[in-house]
Amino acid sequence: IMASGLVGRVVGTNPSRAARLIPSRWTSSKAVVGAKLKTFQIYRWNADSPGKPELQDYQLDLKDCGPMVLDALIKITNEMDPSLTFRRSCREGMCGSCAMNIDGCNGLACLTKIESESSKVTTITPLPHMFVIKDLVVDMTNFYNQYKSIEPWLKRKTPASVPGKEILQSKKDRAKLDGMYECILCACCSTSCPSYWWNPESYLGPAALLHANRWISDSRDEYTKERLEAINDEFKLYRCHTILNCARACPKGLNPGKQISHIKQLQK
Amino acid sequence: MGATKLSGMQKQVLSLYRGFLRAARSKPTTEDRKRIETVVSTEFRKNSKEVDRKNFQYIEYLLRLGHKQLDQLKSPDMVSISSVKIN
Repeated sequence: IMASGLVGRVVGTNPSRAARLIPSRWTSSKAVVGAKLKTFQIYRWNADSPGKPELQDYQLDLKDCGPMVLDALIKITNEMDPSLTFRRSCREGMCGSCAMNIDGCNGLACLTKIESESSKVTTITPLPHMFVIKDLVVDMTNFYNQYKSIEPWLKRKTPASVPGKEILQSKKDRAKLDGMYECILCACCSTSCPSYWWNPESYLGPAALLHANRWISDSRDEYTKERLEAINDEFKLYRCHTILNCARACPKGLNPGKQISHIKQLQK
Repeated sequence: MGATKLSGMQKQVLSLYRGFLRAARSKPTTEDRKRIETVVSTEFRKNSKEVDRKNFQYIEYLLRLGHKQLDQLKSPDMVSISSVKIN
């Protein structure tokens, strides 16, 4: 039954007609006795088919599925609904591709465990207040442009003390970068910040500011004063009101709010 | 000339169209320029007929997509754009 539905959708010409063929509730094809069924409500929107975004129900047997939300999403895509679209890559919390909003909290799907209580419904939606391209895929260009705008590379005025060799850094200076270099640019923090929701184009957001602090605190970088002046702006930096949702959302356990307050301290 | 006042969204669409034509003018050969103009004009005219005027979500989505494609086209390395029709 599933296979014929699949063929009909791939070859079909009229996308709106195919959309009506999709039943509103999907169940795993293996209806085994003793299966632990859990319902997932996943945000669906396709630009080509008419209509508003909807939450579609999918039922999965948790005994037949891996522990993480990403495992559930992959299983749904492989077995039930191949049109479900989402980003994913490393499946181990290193790339930051699978960032999405799971049960109201931003996080990485590959690191978020499925709540084993099968009576509760898990709601999966894309990162909040971002333009949606399709289903769970959001437009990250503004986020990346803001990261680019802080010039995240080493800038020096004087050449290295030994030309062609590494610029040396003490262990103490290297320890200053801990808590900032681990950032994977997943955008969980920026998209959890209400201040970023209301001013996405002018406020840089916790992720970009964390990286700005990473370069400001780097002992090898010689443009510290210029970097601080570049972000010393009413909107770029001072939209932060220490809401600290960013620290709560970060899947790597970083604290962007702390780094932002460090920048504010350095600004005289 | 258009007697009725254009809505903000209509102005955005027209400015995007103008942006594409201006980008086309900066390309080296006349052939490239013509190709870009035909592709862009057919796309815009097709959408103006098929897309409902009130479907703001889809129009905004197309506008964002168009702006990204325009930014790509503006770079001097890009020579032309083409579109393929799949049935």
